[in-house]
Amino acid sequence: MSVIQEISRSKQNVSPRRKGDGRWALFFLAPWFVGLALITAGPMGASLYLSFTDYDLLSPAQWVGLENYTRMFDDPRFLNSLAVTFTYVFVSVPLQLAAALGLALLLDKGMRGLALYRSVYYLPSLLGGSVAIAILWRQIFGADGLVNQVLALFGVQGQGWVSHPDYALGTLMALNVWTFGAPMVIFLAGLRQIPQMYYEAASIDGASRFRQFRSITLPLLTPIIFFNLVLQLIEAFQSFTRAFVVSGGNGGPSDSTLLYTLYLYLKGFGSLDMGYASAMAWFLLLIIGGMTVVNFLASKYWVFYDD
Amino acid sequence: MSTNGLRTRHGKRLAASAAGIAAVALTLAACGSGDSGIGGGGGDESPAAAEECPCEIRFAWWGSDSRHESTQKIIEAFEAENPDITVVPDFTDWDGYWDKLATSVAAGDTPDVITQEERYISDYSTKNVLADLGTLEIDTSKVDDGVLAGGQIDGTQYGIPTGINAYAIVADPEIFADAGVELPDDTTWTWEDYVTTANAVSEGAGEGTWGTQDYGFNEAGLSVMARQRGEVLFTPEGELGVSAETVADFFQVSLDLLEGGGQPDAARTVEYQAAGPEGSLLGTNQGAMGAWWTNQLGALSEASGHDLELLRMPGESAGERTGTYYKPAMFYSVSADTAYPQASAKFVDFMLNSQEAADIMLTDRGLPANTEVREAILDGLSPTDQKVADFMAEIEGEIVDNPPVPPHGSAELADIMERVNTEVLFDRITPEEAATQFIEEVNAATAG
Amino acid sequence: MLKHAGLIAFGFVMLYPLLWMVASSFKPNALIFREPGLIPTDIDLSNYTDGWNALLHPFSHYLINSAIVVLGSLLGNLLSCSLAAYAFARLEFRGKRLWFAVMLMSIMLPIHVVIVPQYVLFSQLEWINTFLPLIVPKLLATDAFFIFLMVQFFRGIPRELDEAATIDGANHLRIYLQIMLPLSLPALATTAIFTFIWTWNDFFSQLIFLTRPEMYTVPIALRTFVDSTGESSWGSLFAMSIVSLIPVFIAFLFGQKYLVKGIATTGIK
Repeated sequence: MSVIQEISRSKQNVSPRRKGDGRWALFFLAPWFVGLALITAGPMGASLYLSFTDYDLLSPAQWVGLENYTRMFDDPRFLNSLAVTFTYVFVSVPLQLAAALGLALLLDKGMRGLALYRSVYYLPSLLGGSVAIAILWRQIFGADGLVNQVLALFGVQGQGWVSHPDYALGTLMALNVWTFGAPMVIFLAGLRQIPQMYYEAASIDGASRFRQFRSITLPLLTPIIFFNLVLQLIEAFQSFTRAFVVSGGNGGPSDSTLLYTLYLYLKGFGSLDMGYASAMAWFLLLIIGGMTVVNFLASKYWVFYDD
Repeated sequence: MSTNGLRTRHGKRLAASAAGIAAVALTLAACGSGDSGIGGGGGDESPAAAEECPCEIRFAWWGSDSRHESTQKIIEAFEAENPDITVVPDFTDWDGYWDKLATSVAAGDTPDVITQEERYISDYSTKNVLADLGTLEIDTSKVDDGVLAGGQIDGTQYGIPTGINAYAIVADPEIFADAGVELPDDTTWTWEDYVTTANAVSEGAGEGTWGTQDYGFNEAGLSVMARQRGEVLFTPEGELGVSAETVADFFQVSLDLLEGGGQPDAARTVEYQAAGPEGSLLGTNQGAMGAWWTNQLGALSEASGHDLELLRMPGESAGERTGTYYKPAMFYSVSADTAYPQASAKFVDFMLNSQEAADIMLTDRGLPANTEVREAILDGLSPTDQKVADFMAEIEGEIVDNPPVPPHGSAELADIMERVNTEVLFDRITPEEAATQFIEEVNAATAG
Repeated sequence: MLKHAGLIAFGFVMLYPLLWMVASSFKPNALIFREPGLIPTDIDLSNYTDGWNALLHPFSHYLINSAIVVLGSLLGNLLSCSLAAYAFARLEFRGKRLWFAVMLMSIMLPIHVVIVPQYVLFSQLEWINTFLPLIVPKLLATDAFFIFLMVQFFRGIPRELDEAATIDGANHLRIYLQIMLPLSLPALATTAIFTFIWTWNDFFSQLIFLTRPEMYTVPIALRTFVDSTGESSWGSLFAMSIVSLIPVFIAFLFGQKYLVKGIATTGIK
């Protein structure tokens, strides 16, 4: 048990802070600072400015103050896209992460053909944004697709899931879960980061495998779980390509898959209302930012760092 | 001490970022005004202005691989004739095309020769992105006046139609035969006949085959129905000109078909709609009819492997007048601030009038708008394209007029149509409610 | 045994769409939707030959362009993001939290609203229609996703290691080069795999910044097989999608073995 106690003790035991790494920080951060100043900040600032204008891309932007921001809340399609996005994010992200973690634990070690399994499970992530995915998804969730063929074996008459307003979002969430390969890879890498000696010591102490998992694997994996959670949330809120491709570009049927970023895109490039789209983007940044802050605050209570 | 040093550095970084922001914001504004500043529409630019060639012009278009290939050949033919002009191709798929075009216009990097479409041409011309082609040397004498008018906004020629299409019912005689239903007489059939025919085919052909594919996703059908009643989808002033009653009747046809079994259930209908010509009912031999643009007959025939027929839209003889019209397939436009208006005009003229270009292009950009080269390519067409040409010639005498260019904001029309129609199909709103919603949303889209 | 059976069955379900695509790529265009079964009636390779030659350049041209962009991005991300991550993970400096927040914020805006200002910026620099707008930002660590990823991994490396090194007189550059990088192979492999795949599949920015056909990359080339307004070459699209998946799949097969070369196998301590 001594190792486990050591781990939990060092959690409170913050190592002495070294101040005065400023010059070194500047050295290490130099490329990032240059990129921030030259490439990131300008376009971000420009989009913030444009969010206060009426801008159709084809003629100069006109200052309209807060109008774009106030308009959002009278726009039923905007409110609908918010609801769709929240459903999408809060259902599919936990499912995707659970699948990723489960498979990562299963494919961690001690089995023949690991490399192949990993690669096979990862393949769908490669396809996730392809144009072909719209057709492929119809082969699964269409009226004559795989799901209904299987249901028919049990005598159940299925229906066209992809194209029904009540179920289309579900198929889109399934698509997100299907591409769990990406977080799985990160989990796999994280599992390998855990020093083997902890397990060896724990075995000597006679800890069961479950106890090892709960007391070593899980706490030491929390930084990676946290990372995946933060990133998948940010990603899911900005999810665009899949919804675009699967819905044929318009968030249909009947706006049921109109994710936030898809609506933003349709406004910006379809209706040439880039001012409004920019305002939507900055409002999204507030949502994601707020969510991330909450995540970071909460992380103090469950994420374990070895420093 | 070191923290002090860092603070000043922070200051500098922030200043640098602020400068970056300001630079980009300024450029955006400057480019915008640069674009529109040119003579309020490029109209009073003298085409005779000194133009230096050898020069390079950029031609932007959308489409798929076969169009890219043939267009490249046309460019080569043009360059052979005009060795001092180089044409740079700039092509993508349909969706990517508009994103890219808007971005390059915003940055002041507009292509010299632009392919346009009726959904967007009003947006681009009212923002002074497109040149007045009337002031450029492009020979339009071989293009029918009614067709040419399709590229005019307030009397100014912003686009020249590349070719024409018509909206029609495509029918599969083999499936009609299997179902034991006779092919309808398209010179007399009404909308009721259309519904009863489709229902009869579904009944006769059995499980898994339907009479027709839902037509409610495409505003062209509504436009035809409105015109048959003496209404218009959009007036020349850009107002919505269709009555709520007509819109409701239009959606009612879909519901009647759904109820009578003439078309698949709502979910299937949406699915087939999304699948394009290749995955449509006709393309997969699961349906006897469908409303399509004539230029899609090729893709449909190839996918189905059957010998498909073109029929006039229903209700042409029963209404106040005929509703069918020639739709410009796309337009050739020239940027208002191109450095080389003459070279650009020359290239447009070549694509429009040269027999060489027409022989390569055939019907890829619609049945050629230039009637002279159209005649000359007929013999070289595939059997399907010949069928289209025959059909277009047949209906020519029946066309009363062609609708004006839809107004600014009409790019959203297709999405509105699709949304409203889906709601109707899934029984979430009645046709009457659909009419109200449609009219409200279209008015909102075209108001801005 | 049971475990393997389960994994194989699950794998089949996961791969069904891909298998369908492979099967369809061997069917004539007209039969793809008419006979959508998993087993083609006869093998037809014409989609591969047609697709390879359908565009202005042979498909290999687009594969090479994509490879250039990918390699540039890979180098850029590995180097610049690991540098920045070291600062956030191991150094103490004024405003660290603020800069960390700024870094995260920079990945929270959808690309669609920054692409137009970016285009303006890059056209001022005359970078449009070159690979520079796609590669230079990576050299400057604008893919903050990977900074965050590596910060999380660096923080997992025991402090005692660099404290010991400091006592031996190592400076931060040496700690970064000799302790952090070698011990973070899984994180670097993850970064490499992700950069590879995202860049390989990235459509929007490549579409906007590359204007001439000779500069087109795989995702742009693939889209030109589909035309929502007319005829689409689905067979060619599927065939070339598979062709372009092969390098990515091989990259993953090769790269994934580094995922497992963590601290656990390097035998430190």
